Amino acid sequence: MKKQQSVLIVEDDEWLAEQQSRVLTKAGYITTISPHAMAAIDAVDDVQPDVIVLDMLLTGSTAFGLMHELQSYGDTGSIPIVLCTNLAADISMDDVRPYGVMRILDKTTMVPGDVVTAVRSVL
Amino acid sequence: MNEQLVGGVLDDGLPSLIAAAHELKSPLALVRQLSLMMESGNVSDIERQRMLRQISLTSERALRLTGDLTRSARLDDALFELEPINPQELCKDIVHELRPLFAAHGSDIRLAPRTHPLLLVANRDLLRRIIINFTDNALHYGGENGIVEIQMGALQSGQVIRVGVRDYGPALSSDMWRSLKAKLMQAPQSVHARPQSSGLGLYIASQFAEAMHGTIGVTRHRNGATFYVDVSASNQLSLL
Repeated sequence: MKKQQSVLIVEDDEWLAEQQSRVLTKAGYITTISPHAMAAIDAVDDVQPDVIVLDMLLTGSTAFGLMHELQSYGDTGSIPIVLCTNLAADISMDDVRPYGVMRILDKTTMVPGDVVTAVRSVL
Repeated sequence: MNEQLVGGVLDDGLPSLIAAAHELKSPLALVRQLSLMMESGNVSDIERQRMLRQISLTSERALRLTGDLTRSARLDDALFELEPINPQELCKDIVHELRPLFAAHGSDIRLAPRTHPLLLVANRDLLRRIIINFTDNALHYGGENGIVEIQMGALQSGQVIRVGVRDYGPALSSDMWRSLKAKLMQAPQSVHARPQSSGLGLYIASQFAEAMHGTIGVTRHRNGATFYVDVSASNQLSLL
């Protein structure tokens, strides 16, 4: 039997995180939600996610701080990241690719299924 | 004053369109996501009810921001009546109004009890908007504990009344603390210049406080923060 893949959602908007979790769960993924970067670092150790869906503007620490931390370690540095942000238009893929970002989703234009498509595409 | 805030690109005296647009993006994006999800039909009745509730509460939150923006842009044109206000009664009403929003987030808001009444001088509408602004902020950043408390007390030998909103979120790092203090002092800036938040809500709150000859501030705790507004105490209480 195929192992269910795990997605860590790092999103400080509780209801948006719930919505992403809802969509990904319906698509067959196991999801964990972390509301901020510190919780996300703990969750990465605990659940060892296959993908991280990361909000760009996090409470307490920007996504860059978290991505930099993840890149510091060999095992976490290889986890693919899907950036999900209101600032997609201002972010260049070339700038964030070195941090493990493989897709950028624009929260203002995406449809619910886009997060599933993005996650699927990086696995 | 920051040129992006007043007299910006359009030179129309309105708060920065960039900052306002940035602050409104999140609730609008959430409402859109939830609506599209329901439209797809791939949700249960229970989920649908929950999502509808979230849509209405998120819309109300966005509308509060637009109301604050409008009021903020017209501060210079209006004379705000200052009157003696019992802050305990005002905050009771706010707690009553916001409790459903907090409950929907699995959180709670409460009012710290007081034995001695306080009376301050303020504009009821502006003070209410400041406190709601702080509670919205606390709800968003307050952490997993989920409790927000409105507290009040007298300072400076009873000359000043402080109304504070205490959250129990993660401790603020020194960098965040400096950034937050700066946001209390400055106009909001472009999201390019300051990526975490435009600080628009705090800036509006500081404008409202200023219009009542008051100030706002923030105190850092080991487990969270208190955002407060200081306004003059009313002398009427001493005459009672």
